[in-house]
Amino acid sequence: MNVKKYAKKFSLLCLLTFVFVPASQAQIKHIEMRVEGMT
Amino acid sequence: MKQHLGRQSGVQNVEVSLIDGKVQVTPKEDGQIDLAQLMKAAYDSGVSVAEMDMTAQGKIVRDSSGTLALQVEPNRSFAFEPNDLSKGLESLASSQTVVTVRGQLYKKPAGKKKVDASVPLKLLLLEAPKQAPKKE
Repeated sequence: MNVKKYAKKFSLLCLLTFVFVPASQAQIKHIEMRVEGMT
Repeated sequence: MKQHLGRQSGVQNVEVSLIDGKVQVTPKEDGQIDLAQLMKAAYDSGVSVAEMDMTAQGKIVRDSSGTLALQVEPNRSFAFEPNDLSKGLESLASSQTVVTVRGQLYKKPAGKKKVDASVPLKLLLLEAPKQAPKKE
Protein backbone atom coordinates (compact mmCIF):
# COMPACT_ATOMS: atom_id res chain seq x y z
CA MET A 1 0.00 0.00 0.00
CA ASN A 2 2.83 2.31 0.99
CA VAL A 3 4.70 1.54 -2.21
CA LYS A 4 1.64 2.50 -4.24
CA LYS A 5 1.31 5.74 -2.29
CA TYR A 6 4.95 6.71 -2.84
CA ALA A 7 4.82 5.71 -6.49
CA LYS A 8 1.89 8.06 -6.96
CA LYS A 9 3.76 10.89 -5.24
CA PHE A 10 6.86 10.22 -7.32
CA SER A 11 4.83 10.29 -10.55
CA LEU A 12 3.30 13.61 -9.52
CA LEU A 13 6.75 15.02 -8.76
CA CYS A 14 8.04 13.92 -12.16
CA LEU A 15 5.04 15.50 -13.88
CA LEU A 16 5.50 18.81 -12.03
CA THR A 17 9.21 18.85 -12.85
CA PHE A 18 8.44 18.32 -16.52
CA VAL A 19 5.86 21.12 -16.51
CA PHE A 20 7.79 23.76 -14.56
CA VAL A 21 11.47 23.25 -15.32
CA PRO A 22 11.34 24.16 -19.04
CA ALA A 23 9.47 27.39 -18.23
CA SER A 24 12.14 28.43 -15.75
CA GLN A 25 14.87 27.84 -18.33
CA ALA A 26 13.89 30.92 -20.30
CA GLN A 27 15.49 33.94 -18.74
CA ILE A 28 18.23 36.53 -18.85
CA LYS A 29 21.37 34.84 -17.56
CA HIS A 30 23.99 37.55 -17.59
CA ILE A 31 24.51 41.18 -18.51
CA GLU A 32 27.79 42.87 -19.26
CA MET A 33 28.15 46.62 -19.65
CA ARG A 34 31.14 48.57 -20.80
CA VAL A 35 31.02 51.96 -19.16
CA GLU A 36 32.89 55.19 -19.68
CA GLY A 37 33.79 57.86 -17.17
CA MET A 38 34.42 55.48 -14.27
CA THR A 39 37.02 56.72 -11.77
CA MET B 1 27.94 52.50 -8.73
CA LYS B 2 28.11 48.88 -7.57
CA GLN B 3 25.71 49.60 -4.71
CA HIS B 4 23.41 51.72 -6.87
CA LEU B 5 23.12 49.04 -9.54
CA GLY B 6 22.77 46.34 -6.90
CA ARG B 7 19.68 48.08 -5.56
CA GLN B 8 17.84 47.89 -8.89
CA SER B 9 15.01 45.40 -9.05
CA GLY B 10 15.93 41.98 -10.35
CA VAL B 11 19.66 42.41 -9.73
CA GLN B 12 21.35 39.67 -7.73
CA ASN B 13 25.02 40.59 -8.04
CA VAL B 14 27.18 43.31 -9.57
CA GLU B 15 30.91 43.08 -10.26
CA VAL B 16 32.78 46.16 -11.39
CA SER B 17 36.20 46.05 -13.04
CA LEU B 18 37.91 49.42 -12.90
CA ILE B 19 40.74 48.26 -15.17
CA ASP B 20 38.70 47.59 -18.30
CA GLY B 21 35.56 49.54 -17.38
CA LYS B 22 33.35 46.47 -17.39
CA VAL B 23 30.34 45.87 -15.20
CA GLN B 24 29.03 42.31 -14.85
CA VAL B 25 25.46 42.01 -13.68
CA THR B 26 23.92 38.73 -12.58
CA PRO B 27 20.11 38.87 -12.59
CA LYS B 28 17.99 37.13 -9.99
CA GLU B 29 16.50 33.76 -10.88
CA ASP B 30 13.08 35.33 -11.51
CA GLY B 31 14.58 37.27 -14.44
CA GLN B 32 12.55 40.38 -13.60
CA ILE B 33 15.30 42.82 -14.49
CA ASP B 34 14.63 46.12 -16.22
CA LEU B 35 17.53 46.68 -18.61
CA ALA B 36 16.60 50.24 -19.56
CA GLN B 37 16.38 51.07 -15.85
CA LEU B 38 19.77 49.45 -15.33
CA MET B 39 21.35 51.65 -17.98
CA LYS B 40 19.69 54.71 -16.50
CA ALA B 41 20.95 53.72 -13.03
CA ALA B 42 24.50 53.47 -14.41
CA TYR B 43 24.15 56.93 -15.91
CA ASP B 44 22.72 58.29 -12.64
CA SER B 45 25.73 56.97 -10.78
CA GLY B 46 28.05 59.06 -12.94
CA VAL B 47 29.10 56.86 -15.86
CA SER B 48 27.80 56.43 -19.36
CA VAL B 49 27.10 53.02 -20.85
CA ALA B 50 29.09 52.49 -24.05
CA GLU B 51 27.89 48.93 -24.68
CA MET B 52 25.56 46.42 -23.15
CA ASP B 53 25.73 42.70 -23.91
CA MET B 54 23.31 40.08 -22.69
CA THR B 55 23.35 36.30 -22.42
CA ALA B 56 19.86 34.91 -22.33
CA GLN B 57 17.96 31.71 -22.74
CA GLY B 58 14.61 31.60 -24.45
CA LYS B 59 12.49 30.60 -27.40
CA ILE B 60 12.71 31.97 -30.90
CA VAL B 61 9.44 33.64 -31.87
CA ARG B 62 8.10 36.19 -34.31
CA ASP B 63 6.69 39.32 -32.68
CA SER B 64 3.51 41.14 -33.74
CA SER B 65 5.37 42.87 -36.59
CA GLY B 66 6.81 39.57 -37.84
CA THR B 67 10.32 40.31 -36.61
CA LEU B 68 12.32 37.40 -35.26
CA ALA B 69 12.79 37.71 -31.49
CA LEU B 70 14.02 35.90 -28.41
CA GLN B 71 11.22 35.34 -25.90
CA VAL B 72 12.66 35.20 -22.39
CA GLU B 73 9.35 35.47 -20.54
CA PRO B 74 5.72 35.08 -21.65
CA ASN B 75 5.36 38.86 -22.04
CA ARG B 76 8.92 39.80 -22.77
CA SER B 77 10.90 39.38 -25.94
CA PHE B 78 13.87 41.04 -27.62
CA ALA B 79 13.67 41.60 -31.36
CA PHE B 80 16.79 40.60 -33.27
CA GLU B 81 18.78 43.07 -35.27
CA PRO B 82 18.96 41.07 -38.52
CA ASN B 83 22.34 39.44 -39.21
CA ASP B 84 23.67 36.06 -40.36
CA LEU B 85 23.25 34.54 -36.91
CA SER B 86 19.61 35.61 -36.60
CA LYS B 87 18.91 34.20 -40.09
CA GLY B 88 20.27 30.88 -38.86
CA LEU B 89 17.63 30.81 -36.13
CA GLU B 90 14.67 31.43 -38.45
CA SER B 91 13.93 27.73 -38.69
CA LEU B 92 13.37 27.62 -34.92
CA ALA B 93 10.69 30.32 -34.95
CA SER B 94 7.60 29.23 -33.03
CA SER B 95 9.12 25.89 -32.18
CA GLN B 96 9.40 25.06 -28.51
CA THR B 97 13.17 24.92 -28.72
CA VAL B 98 15.02 26.74 -25.96
CA VAL B 99 18.28 28.32 -27.08
CA THR B 100 21.00 30.28 -25.32
CA VAL B 101 22.32 33.29 -27.17
CA ARG B 102 24.65 36.18 -26.48
CA GLY B 103 24.07 39.50 -28.11
CA GLN B 104 24.60 43.20 -27.99
CA LEU B 105 21.58 45.16 -26.79
CA TYR B 106 23.03 48.61 -26.88
CA LYS B 107 25.96 50.48 -28.31
CA LYS B 108 26.35 54.16 -27.66
CA PRO B 109 26.09 56.19 -30.85
CA ALA B 110 29.12 58.39 -31.46
CA GLY B 111 28.92 61.69 -29.65
CA LYS B 112 25.83 60.83 -27.63
CA LYS B 113 26.18 61.18 -23.88
CA LYS B 114 22.90 60.15 -22.33
CA VAL B 115 21.14 56.84 -22.78
CA ASP B 116 17.82 57.08 -24.57
CA ALA B 117 15.64 54.70 -22.52
CA SER B 118 12.61 55.24 -24.75
CA VAL B 119 14.12 53.34 -27.70
CA PRO B 120 13.33 49.60 -27.55
CA LEU B 121 16.48 47.54 -27.18
CA LYS B 122 17.23 45.30 -30.16
CA LEU B 123 19.44 42.28 -29.83
CA LEU B 124 22.36 42.03 -32.25
CA LEU B 125 23.39 38.39 -32.01
CA LEU B 126 27.07 37.75 -31.31
CA GLU B 127 26.81 34.07 -30.43
CA ALA B 128 24.06 31.62 -31.26
CA PRO B 129 23.90 27.83 -31.16
CA LYS B 130 25.69 26.21 -34.06
CA GLN B 131 24.55 22.66 -33.39
CA ALA B 132 20.97 21.50 -33.16
CA PRO B 133 19.71 22.57 -29.73
CA LYS B 134 17.67 20.37 -27.42
CA LYS B 135 13.91 20.44 -27.71
CA GLU B 136 11.76 20.82 -24.60
